[in-house]
Amino acid sequence: MIEAIDLEKSFGPVKAVRGVSFKVVRGEAVGFLGPNGAGKTTTFRMLAGTIGPTAGKVRLAGMELGEDPIAAKRALGYMAENAPLYPELTGSEYLLYRAELRGIERRHRAAAVEKAAEQARATSMIGTRIAHLSKGFRQRMALADALLGDPPILLLDEPTSGLDPNQVSDVRKLILELAKDHAVILSTHILSEVAATCSRAIVIHHGRKVGEGTLAELEAKRNEGRVQMVLVGGREKTLSILASYATTAPEIVSEASGVLTLRFPVRDPADLASIVAQCVHADLKVLEAAPLRAALDEVFSELTKEGGPK
Amino acid sequence: MSGFSAIFKRELRSLWVTPLAWVLLVTFLLLQGGIFYAITVHLSRMDQAALEAGPIQAYFGQQSLLMTFSLILLCPGLTMRSLAEERRSGSIEALLSAPVRSSSIVLGKYLGILLTYALIWLPTLLYVALLRETGSISPLTLVVNYGGVLLLGASYLAIGVFMSSLARSQLIALLLTTFALFGFFILGIGQYAFEQGLLQTLSEYLSPVTMLEETAKGLIDTRRVVLHASIITWALFVSARMVESWRTA
Repeated sequence: MIEAIDLEKSFGPVKAVRGVSFKVVRGEAVGFLGPNGAGKTTTFRMLAGTIGPTAGKVRLAGMELGEDPIAAKRALGYMAENAPLYPELTGSEYLLYRAELRGIERRHRAAAVEKAAEQARATSMIGTRIAHLSKGFRQRMALADALLGDPPILLLDEPTSGLDPNQVSDVRKLILELAKDHAVILSTHILSEVAATCSRAIVIHHGRKVGEGTLAELEAKRNEGRVQMVLVGGREKTLSILASYATTAPEIVSEASGVLTLRFPVRDPADLASIVAQCVHADLKVLEAAPLRAALDEVFSELTKEGGPK
Repeated sequence: MSGFSAIFKRELRSLWVTPLAWVLLVTFLLLQGGIFYAITVHLSRMDQAALEAGPIQAYFGQQSLLMTFSLILLCPGLTMRSLAEERRSGSIEALLSAPVRSSSIVLGKYLGILLTYALIWLPTLLYVALLRETGSISPLTLVVNYGGVLLLGASYLAIGVFMSSLARSQLIALLLTTFALFGFFILGIGQYAFEQGLLQTLSEYLSPVTMLEETAKGLIDTRRVVLHASIITWALFVSARMVESWRTA
């Protein structure tokens, strides 16, 4: 549905995006993650056709953006960062203008505007001049713009920025709903947003793609083969049992009031059952034993820590 | 022309729902009113036999210097926002992501501004109605006179749109256009400074003042029509290339 092939972008001597490739198909929402200056917005602009790549290609709904930009862009709904709109127009004037610009036929325009405004929960302020709207309502108006005409591909750059918690929740629900039959790419700094709305994530850093996969894959990759145990009992006894299973020395995370928390890598996750059995046999009280999963923010932090590719 | 109509209507609406067009309209009409007043007072003091031209010719021709200055004031004000403001505010991003050609963006904006310019001239027809009371006015002369200010304005507005494509600030676009139009005016003045020859002919050819003096007499010089049509085509073409370069840069 949307495909980036070896996208590169240089601004003079600065390489903002370096060979980024990915594909997003209909029926999934993908989080596009990266720290500030990672190249997210530049990549989004190339996908939306507002700037051209230095190298590489973008395909939207099977059409190459560089070859047939008008046809390709008809398949795209783009919500730009900070939602720059025309302050002198009312919401409905703006959306009608955008509907015409997007080539929606005159007889379908009013209905398309009404539907998009309703989906973006912007109907109540549609008659108000944009200059008088709060940031949240401007965001919703920009979201309604992206939804006009029900394009199959949605590029949403920071869609919940400036919204209150209820509005954020509404937008997240909407994204989940849209992801059923659209290809949605969502750029955000808010990792919980990706966790709440996306089935996959792409992480970029210094213009390179440094991670891609389902959230479970990314979380598991961070802690491949590591387990955590919480138990009550002797430290030495525990370490002697673990010596034959752990591939490296266990890390003691905490030890307080006789409760010991350890993390260690194992060759085979199935070994965990034997470890627990041996601990029980040695009169150690096992409170918790499970493969370790990192939170998404830990994955993000690991993938984008300084010292990465520059 | 995908998207042309939407951009044309939006440009027109944006000019008239903000104070800009109204401020320019009032300023322009005050200036034109002043010119008209001066002409009528001047003509009323002259013998009928001493009159070289009719009142309409006098309005457009005898004060062509003032007329040129009022266009140098009006046109940059109308065009300064066109592309510069889109870039400053960031709304250009939404525009460029839409399925619309760069030529439609430029042409839609230009024609929206040109229509506004024509509408700003519209109230001056009241002067014509007033002057009709004092004598007959040749419809052909009227058409040529209004055609002259429309052609000159169209050319100035095209230069203004181009200058707006070079700047990210309205003020810079305004200044660039004013300097460019003033430059044209100075080149035209050269006809009085140079000795007879190529430079003088060239200056005369470029002079907006001389052009208005000619159209005031009902004369149409096709060389001037070609000149201004070429300026319009070139300025709009280069502006469209500028917009395209933002997409591909």
